[in-house]
Amino acid sequence: MKARKSIGVGLLSVLLVSSVVGCGNNEKNSASSTPSSSAPSSSASSGGEASKTPEKTDTKKEKVKITYSMWGSAEEGNVTQAVADKFNASQDRIEVEVVAIPWESYMTKLNTQATGGQLPDTGMLKEDGVIQWSSEGMLNDVSAMYEGSDSKPLDSLAYKYQGKTLAYAAANEVLLLYYNKDMFDKAGVAYPPSALDKAWTWDEFVATAKKLTVDKKGKHPGEDGFDKDSIVQYGASVENLPWQLETWALSNGGGFYSADGTEVRIGEDASVEAIQKVADLYLKDHVAPLSVGQTDDGIQRTIIAGTVAMATNGAWNVGTSLNTAKEEGLNYGVAVLPYMKDKVTLNTGGANVVFSQTKHPAESMEWLKWYNSEENNWGLISSGIWMPTLEKWYTDETLTHKWVDNPNFPPYEEYKSAVVDYARSSAARPAAWFYTNHTTDFNTLLGSVLGDVWTGKTTAKDAIAKNLEALKAAHAGNN
Amino acid sequence: METISKSSRRRARIYSAEARVAYICLIPAFLGLIFLTYVPLLSVLGISLTSWTGLAKPEFIGFDNYVKLFTTDPYIKDSIIATIYFALLSVAGSMIYSLFIAMLLNRKIPARGFFRAVFYVPYVLPAAAIYVGWSWLYEANFGFFNYLLSEIGLSKVLFIADSSYVVPSLSLISVWLAGNLIVIFLAGLQNVPSVYHEAAEMDGANGWQRFLHITLPCMSPIIFYNLLMSLIANLQVVTPALALTNGGPGNSSRFMTYLMYDQAFVNYKLGYACATTFIIFAILAAFTAVLFKTSNRWIFNEGGDDK
Repeated sequence: MKARKSIGVGLLSVLLVSSVVGCGNNEKNSASSTPSSSAPSSSASSGGEASKTPEKTDTKKEKVKITYSMWGSAEEGNVTQAVADKFNASQDRIEVEVVAIPWESYMTKLNTQATGGQLPDTGMLKEDGVIQWSSEGMLNDVSAMYEGSDSKPLDSLAYKYQGKTLAYAAANEVLLLYYNKDMFDKAGVAYPPSALDKAWTWDEFVATAKKLTVDKKGKHPGEDGFDKDSIVQYGASVENLPWQLETWALSNGGGFYSADGTEVRIGEDASVEAIQKVADLYLKDHVAPLSVGQTDDGIQRTIIAGTVAMATNGAWNVGTSLNTAKEEGLNYGVAVLPYMKDKVTLNTGGANVVFSQTKHPAESMEWLKWYNSEENNWGLISSGIWMPTLEKWYTDETLTHKWVDNPNFPPYEEYKSAVVDYARSSAARPAAWFYTNHTTDFNTLLGSVLGDVWTGKTTAKDAIAKNLEALKAAHAGNN
Repeated sequence: METISKSSRRRARIYSAEARVAYICLIPAFLGLIFLTYVPLLSVLGISLTSWTGLAKPEFIGFDNYVKLFTTDPYIKDSIIATIYFALLSVAGSMIYSLFIAMLLNRKIPARGFFRAVFYVPYVLPAAAIYVGWSWLYEANFGFFNYLLSEIGLSKVLFIADSSYVVPSLSLISVWLAGNLIVIFLAGLQNVPSVYHEAAEMDGANGWQRFLHITLPCMSPIIFYNLLMSLIANLQVVTPALALTNGGPGNSSRFMTYLMYDQAFVNYKLGYACATTFIIFAILAAFTAVLFKTSNRWIFNEGGDDK
């Protein structure tokens, strides 16, 4: 009996010790080998070729190999690789390899690669990751990228933090008001304005939405006998994802943060009141369907589902979903957002960055600069998913025609005014992640704090006041 | 005396030879257990003592993550409450529902095979499809349930959009999904000796009495197994939060596993997420321990007390 036990214990302890030792060794190995093993990382996926190059390229000038990671399917990766091949053929110093990673796992994959010192040289980065990655020392300064260049990206598209330019957006996006023209025609109501100087005030917006909200008996909100529980068509829906809500806080003279991103301003009356106004579209005005911010498919749920006459959301929807709906008969238009006190829209766009683990920052920047000239992203731009980042596309009418005059878009004059000009106007302000850190934490918490505001169980004032310290802690990165 | 000790010595030798074989045979299992369970568990504990984000080098910060979780974290308290609430509702609901259905399916009814399949089907459907379907039923504005309610003149129920209804609504889905429990119950029911029922029937026991005094005691080991499995599975709930609610409204469906996922793979606070994981582990262990401790009081073993 005793013997049996001791054998067991012995075995166990041997196994345990060996596992611990093995574990320790592994850690040491990976830690010590990080710097050296990261060198060939850029060509990790074509390791065979990489190891051959030194032998045979003695005579010829060696091409620097860099990898560019992007989110998208393997197919989209092939399209981008074809673009990169043009770049590779155009000069004899740099060879770009494109790695496509599905959007859902993109940031997780990059995080894992960063841990292992295996990051690509350059690539796309999700908006809210740019400043965090930079503050952890993972990004190269790219402020020199456009020095002496004839056309720069729009200034609102630069990620800036503590005086440094960290990255430029790969694409431009602004928030818009989409509307269903057939619903407006049927109700005999004038379309929302596509020109900024004619933008609706919030009250005009709500009043119009009431005319377009109809219950089963054909009554509108405010009329006798109107039943809010049997609405068959809603007038308006304002997207209440936390980052988009900042539009309304800014428009009402408040904001989420101070302009330099250091202070939290969401507790101010103007900010709270703006959020409450958005909630009241459902609660008091009865013109909006309930949305508690659980899904990110606002346009599908509203305009495309054909249940709502007007809805706010980003310009990318023209290419990601509305173009298909248009082919199937949806008659939609684009307009500028209504405003509370100031005319505001947010612009955003995922970043193209150069990772600090790269050994070839100059070559990476050269590639990014070449790639970011819009001719090379033409597929994404002509389908309406991306808007160009370089200023010339907004200022030179022939280029704008080339961009917008195609069947994927709403009528030229409308889009030109409500999107192209809007994006360059004073109304366009960068989303918070262009200039402040920890926006993911802040937005997650804000979304959770506002959960009961949309259903009217509490008010924006109470909910935010109760959690203001936690929101400030989230912004400071202490959550 | 002499012979006895001799034979016992021989027996000991045989045992030790057998034991050696047994230990050798156990090695693969031990290896798996150690490298796939215990080492990762210890690593989680180790990482939970750091401020690792996956990017910069991990920094040892002692128990700071745990202190933060229990003092300033805005989510964890709501998260634990939501998870336990969900688990209790789902376990109770699915145990009663599946035992009931299993007993119906155990009767000699027409098209029994068909109905058995019908109740098992939800369990084998792909989770994503199931939740998309339920989201259409539950949708607050134009969902099918609200359409029915408004047709009969009732006011709308917000289901998963309302922080008070979201957990019961999600529990209902999990009860509906309990096809695996039904199958195990069915197997158990078929092992209840029919002689007991016949004897009881002769003594004049009615259906309810037979259920209470024969079926339930005979089924108690199966009930225990299902209870345990269902409790653990429901405490680890994450899919409905990922597929339907994003943890909302508010924190009302921010289940612990979802919270951990959010910390680790949305906010990339890996050290912090590991600390949360350990708390989940502790809660699971506590529930399981309580269940095991109380089990011998109500589990009826046919073979007598042979534990």
